Amino acid sequence: MAIDIVHDTQFVFRKILDSMARPGTVANVAGVASRIDTQLNCFHSTFLCALTLLDSEVTFHVLPTGNSDLIDKISQYTLSKHVSVSEADFIIASKECSEQEAADAIRQAKQGTLIDPNRSSTIILEVESLTEKEGTVLTGPGIKTKSHFPFAFSKEMFIAREEKNKEFPMGIDLIITDSSGRLACIPRTAEMDLKEVH
Amino acid sequence: MNQHHFAFFDEGSKKEIRRTILKAVAIPGYQVPFSSREMPIARGWGTGGLQITLSIIGREDCLKVIDQGSDESVNAVSIKKLVHNTTSVEITERTQEATIIQSRHRIPEIPLQGGQILVLQVPTPEPLRQVEPREYMTKILHSEEEYSGAWLQLFEQIMKYGRTATGADHPVYVNSRYVMAPSPIPRFDNVKMNESDALILLGAGREKKIYAIPPYTDVQSLAFEDYPFAVEEFSGKSCRFCGATDVFLDEVLDSATGDVHYQCNDTSYCLEQLNSHEKAKEESSYA
Repeated sequence: MAIDIVHDTQFVFRKILDSMARPGTVANVAGVASRIDTQLNCFHSTFLCALTLLDSEVTFHVLPTGNSDLIDKISQYTLSKHVSVSEADFIIASKECSEQEAADAIRQAKQGTLIDPNRSSTIILEVESLTEKEGTVLTGPGIKTKSHFPFAFSKEMFIAREEKNKEFPMGIDLIITDSSGRLACIPRTAEMDLKEVH
Repeated sequence: MNQHHFAFFDEGSKKEIRRTILKAVAIPGYQVPFSSREMPIARGWGTGGLQITLSIIGREDCLKVIDQGSDESVNAVSIKKLVHNTTSVEITERTQEATIIQSRHRIPEIPLQGGQILVLQVPTPEPLRQVEPREYMTKILHSEEEYSGAWLQLFEQIMKYGRTATGADHPVYVNSRYVMAPSPIPRFDNVKMNESDALILLGAGREKKIYAIPPYTDVQSLAFEDYPFAVEEFSGKSCRFCGATDVFLDEVLDSATGDVHYQCNDTSYCLEQLNSHEKAKEESSYA
């Protein structure tokens, strides 16, 4: 594979960091993604996130269930272990997930404890496109006043996330990826405006 | 060519630190534990900051390292050399040019910008350590947002000295949730953390903690209504070299004469001021 594991993952990490620190910032990793030369059952940007963040010290879960090809690929490339959704440090919810399945994943994900809120799950969620004009309005740390997040969440997803994040600092962080090599993050601190949810 | 791996660290170490940084950003002010690596400098000499810098830095970055406001102190120079020797990234002294600024005890005078990351070295990340020596207990206190100890420390200072007497490292409330040690920066710099344009990452190597303040986050210094927070007072004083008045000044005692002088603590800022004065003088003398 023509991915430079040193410099490309550093590049992708900085994009994720920038998006996590400034929710609503959409990063483009299409340049690196175009050099992936292996057949994948997920978006290239999703796989780059896995290469950047996963190793044998953390665990992951792939949704929907039965995507054994992707599970094998991620295990082989990162040495990370596939575990149940409620134990996983990273949950990869691919495009094939229904709204219901993605919302369920959020509900079942680890949220950490009040003493160790960092022991929570990060969900990598695939959506068709991070270029929606409608989108969602975010407020919170990292955002000067309001930020436009270019994807409109369903009411079900919104409620599942609200429920999960209601007792800060416990909660889950989202990395959203799209099919054109874009990614953006929604940390647990970001507040979504319900009026903007469809 | 150097024979080191890029940025000194193995990729596994970088990954773990990168994951920790993301969690730190998602939970502003919360100290995320990490497995602090052995570094070629001793723990307590900036290893936390150095580990963050090495884990985030890329070939395109431009690095500035300062120690107590100085670009040229031994600690700053050795950290710069280590990072440069293992990454070949550009090194600068100009705050405006840097994409990553690693610092000990100061936030530069020139306001930070959106594209920059400030990495602060932290000796004691736990603001409650003086009132509670047990790590597990301070973790419980943070989980319960039980900060009486931090308030009481300030109250005792007021009882003793008539004002809060924190020399540096005056505790802050981050995002109205966590009380955090801002690292030993002067109170003068505390205000720069509030609603900062730049991302601020803090690393404590010896104590094995990483924490963060995302941009545009509410950071308030702890204070009482009747004893409001106050920064160091420099009214009527100016830098003896460049004449700056609205900066953090060092007090220098001339032991021979007993005279007291004041000078900019931020050396690169001072130098830039001097150069611009010189340039202005030159231009006016030509005309």
